Amino acid sequence: MAEGQFLKATDLQEACELLAQYGGKARLLAGGTDLMVAVNQRKLFPEVLVYLGDSGLNYINAEGDNLVIGAATPFTDIMRSDRVQEETPLLAEVISHLASPAIRNVGTIGGNLANGSPAADSATALLALGASLRLRSKTGEREVAVEEFFTGPGETMLEPAELVQEIIIPRQIGGAKWAYRKLGKRKAQTLSIVSVAISCPLEGGQCQGVRIALGAVAPTPILATEAARILEGKAMDAKLIDKAAKAAAEATRPIDDVRGSAWYRRRATEALVKQLLAQISA
Amino acid sequence: MHSLELTVNGRSYQTTVTLKTTLLEVLRDKLFITSPKVGCNSGDCGTCSVLIDDKLVRSCITNALSTQGKEITTVEGLSKPGHLHPLQEAFHEKYGAQCGFCTPGMILAAKALLDENPKPSRKDVREALSGNLCRCAGYGKIVDSVMAAAEQMGQAKN
Repeated sequence: MAEGQFLKATDLQEACELLAQYGGKARLLAGGTDLMVAVNQRKLFPEVLVYLGDSGLNYINAEGDNLVIGAATPFTDIMRSDRVQEETPLLAEVISHLASPAIRNVGTIGGNLANGSPAADSATALLALGASLRLRSKTGEREVAVEEFFTGPGETMLEPAELVQEIIIPRQIGGAKWAYRKLGKRKAQTLSIVSVAISCPLEGGQCQGVRIALGAVAPTPILATEAARILEGKAMDAKLIDKAAKAAAEATRPIDDVRGSAWYRRRATEALVKQLLAQISA
Repeated sequence: MHSLELTVNGRSYQTTVTLKTTLLEVLRDKLFITSPKVGCNSGDCGTCSVLIDDKLVRSCITNALSTQGKEITTVEGLSKPGHLHPLQEAFHEKYGAQCGFCTPGMILAAKALLDENPKPSRKDVREALSGNLCRCAGYGKIVDSVMAAAEQMGQAKN
């Protein structure tokens, strides 16, 4: 049996060089909470593992109007960061409902995104917050909005020799209204059946730049853009909220699976959006 | 095969692993430290929980090679000969263990909590143990046990 190679990247540049050298053969390993499940289930037989645990990609910095989070930062560190709690509280709240303490201790935000799950909880938060991702390879870097990053279930726009370097989130200084709800089979350690994250900067009682993100109801995490358009620049009332919630449900493309039916997911999306908008406008 | 050196419960070990070997396999099959159990093998049930450098992790989905040079703690490392750890004592006194399969993971999750928060509320305890499943559904007595241990450890300090 082939022995395989375990390569520790000591910095970002080395990680990019190793990816360039081994191309599609190499898999990145950070916390391993997705990758090792696939290995245990014999769905993945990695030949080369590039380990990012000591690569210096674990940081939370303020840069101008943005919060910049290194891709290999574990969820626990993000959730407990004072800066994150003050400037993007929605992200801290979403992470507190993600998996379980032991998973959050090692699971990283970059790994959660790069895994490309339609139910990736961090993605709904980042979509609602208007975040973007800096992708890096040996030959260059590019910045993409989170809504462009996901291309299908388990698929992203990452090239074989490319990695997620960091997550760039606009700081919500001065505050914005937000709300989040995740429906799962239980409260902890559960995959979302439906999750909804809403960020709604209010100016003079009107919605300005509202973003409604939906998880686990389409091939990728999505933004309900039509629903947001209905609310934009308006003062919310019950009728408008109803209309936006219906539009959000229409934006879904859910499937039937072990966690819930497509019918349920569409109905639950409408109910959750309605509930969360009412909460925000109250 | 790759060489792996790690410390478990204060003792250094050297062994060999493949690219796919998990920390749980190293502990049980190579070092014969069997308190971490094989449950779901996918990170969901928590019975394989151990501490790496005092942080709670799932050993079943921890790549062994990522633990190179790290310090691992299992339940075997909590007690000294003849003296149980207050958490073990409390699980015994308060009937916190029923079949016992989840108990090592529960105790380590509780230890990780008490290291950071010596005076937890029942809600704190439930949250800290939320990734550990008890198939006997003995959760009430498990939370009782952790609360009793916290109290006992607080008294011991004063």
